[in-house]
Amino acid sequence: MAEVTLKNLTKRWGDFIGVDNQSLEIHDKEFLVLLGPSGCGKTTTMRMIAGLEDPTDGEIRIGDRVVNDDLPRDRDVAMVFQNYGLYPHMTIFDNIAYPLRVRGTPKNEIEPRVRKAAEQVELTEFLHRKPKALSGGQRQRVALARAIVRTPKVFLMDEPLSNLDAKLRVTMRAELKHLSRALKITTIYVTHDQIEAMTLADRVAVMKNGIIQQLGTPDEIYNDPANLFVAGFIGSPAMNLINGSVQDGHFVTTGGTKLVRVAAPDSPSVVLGVRADDMRVAEEGEGDLDVRIYAFENTGEATLLTVQWGKQRVIAKGDRHLRKDQDDIVSVSLDSDHLYLFDPETGDRIKR
Amino acid sequence: MRDNTLKYLLVLPAVLVVFATAVWPLIESLRLSFTVGRLNRPGSLDQYLGWENFTWAFSQEPAFWNSVWVTTVYTFLTVALTTVLALGLAMLLAPGGRFRSGVQTLLILPFAMSPALIGVSFRFMFNPEFGLFDAFFGVIIPPLADVSWLADPVLAFAVCVMADVWGWIPFLTLVLIGGLASVPQDTIEAAQVDGASGWRVFRDITLPQLAPVLAVVIILKSIFSLKTFDQIFMLTNGGPGTATQTLSHYIYFNGMKYGQIGYAASVAWLMVIPMIFLTYAYAKFVFRKN
Repeated sequence: MAEVTLKNLTKRWGDFIGVDNQSLEIHDKEFLVLLGPSGCGKTTTMRMIAGLEDPTDGEIRIGDRVVNDDLPRDRDVAMVFQNYGLYPHMTIFDNIAYPLRVRGTPKNEIEPRVRKAAEQVELTEFLHRKPKALSGGQRQRVALARAIVRTPKVFLMDEPLSNLDAKLRVTMRAELKHLSRALKITTIYVTHDQIEAMTLADRVAVMKNGIIQQLGTPDEIYNDPANLFVAGFIGSPAMNLINGSVQDGHFVTTGGTKLVRVAAPDSPSVVLGVRADDMRVAEEGEGDLDVRIYAFENTGEATLLTVQWGKQRVIAKGDRHLRKDQDDIVSVSLDSDHLYLFDPETGDRIKR
Repeated sequence: MRDNTLKYLLVLPAVLVVFATAVWPLIESLRLSFTVGRLNRPGSLDQYLGWENFTWAFSQEPAFWNSVWVTTVYTFLTVALTTVLALGLAMLLAPGGRFRSGVQTLLILPFAMSPALIGVSFRFMFNPEFGLFDAFFGVIIPPLADVSWLADPVLAFAVCVMADVWGWIPFLTLVLIGGLASVPQDTIEAAQVDGASGWRVFRDITLPQLAPVLAVVIILKSIFSLKTFDQIFMLTNGGPGTATQTLSHYIYFNGMKYGQIGYAASVAWLMVIPMIFLTYAYAKFVFRKN
């Protein structure tokens, strides 16, 4: 059993606040992703859990034990670093064996355990090599094997895939997911990549400026964003955010076009959020609003239409067989079941 | 073609200067080492003697063997002490170490002093009547209160070692700080999380990654220690007796004081042997591939 509990955790460097009074409970065997742009405090949070950074304030618990004053080695965690942190002067075998050796594992147990860990990440043929003889993806696997060779209470992964090229990242992501389901160990995973967060996590904590903006399952984060920041951060292409107002139960754009029925009280200023997938594209005159195409992009699996909407540009996703050209006129309709309204002042969601 | 000629023409003066000040004296000293070579006897500089100067040093000169012994012990002690102390200081002063900036600037001071000046200062410091160190050691180690440091063979040697270590620590520390800065921080953090104690992180992770820099430091310092002259000359002038007479001091004495320039040249060439070995090792470490 190893849940991780953060209580009023704060990290300050002088006037700069890295993590601002955050509390978070990570359940036993859960895969939790800390997601946010760079400088949001996600890595700092993880480093405090690892013991590589001292919190200014607050409490960190691993299992039943408050670990604030414990050295990293006494916390029984394993960490995968962004730059892998492999020991360049040791062979792959010795790299993987190191956590066992320093923890006094009996000699005859080390070899089979290293081999098993290497098998799990498909690395067995490279054990006698040095790290610099391996490719980025292989090094990443060594770092992973070094983490799983022991059975720690918690895995900590700091942007482990961000140094890999795009194609390898997708493969490794799947392998990581497979491995984490097989091992069933509490994992905290830091990333700025929302696809990684969506695909890997049991729960995601979206962070900004040292504060957790929303904590929830990937579905909740995607379908029910708590505020403008989360709405804009999750999803690709990003959610369209359209300025306007609510009059007589309808959303009216700043240009004065009465657009769609929304279940919200009248308000002079709101932001309407709508995902590209939730907009229907039809021939001119057949939808709610005729708009001019600013750019037409064919991604193969779908088409993306950037359309001029008054002074704003909005992205809609069209059928993969749709073919249009710049400056053509199309008609778009909004799905009133999948609209989000936000207060432009506070950024908070206006719930119906 | 014109560019090529010009190119060589432009380097020529420098080549000539190097030849006149380094290559020619080197060849001339090699020639002298096979001659009688007495400064006070005209014509002896061209009087061929064969290998006799060399065999004389090995068979007839206890003072030669004494200086070889002094130089060996001196080199071993100064290299070991300077390296260990500099490594300790570098660990404290490196980025992420405990002390920094202000202390680092202070640290460079001894290195800014000329070795001869260090020799003079230490002679003053250990003066039995007004020497600060003499008084200081007398207080913290009472048996040493009435000792005249530079008159005692063992203590005079210790003072020479002390002065050299003091003078060389800054430079080696700075080099090692640079070396430590190139050890990736994440390998150290990975080892801490993996479960290594502070000592094991140092032994298993930091030290092996620092090894190439450490090797260069040790080789360089060995070369510097082997050729020590000016500091010893000012501090003890080889004494008391020949207790602190290093090889270069012995060479100087025989060549300049006794006028046996041929014999001095041959001993100097004997000293080239360990130097060549060290220089080769140095070049191997500095210019190695990967």
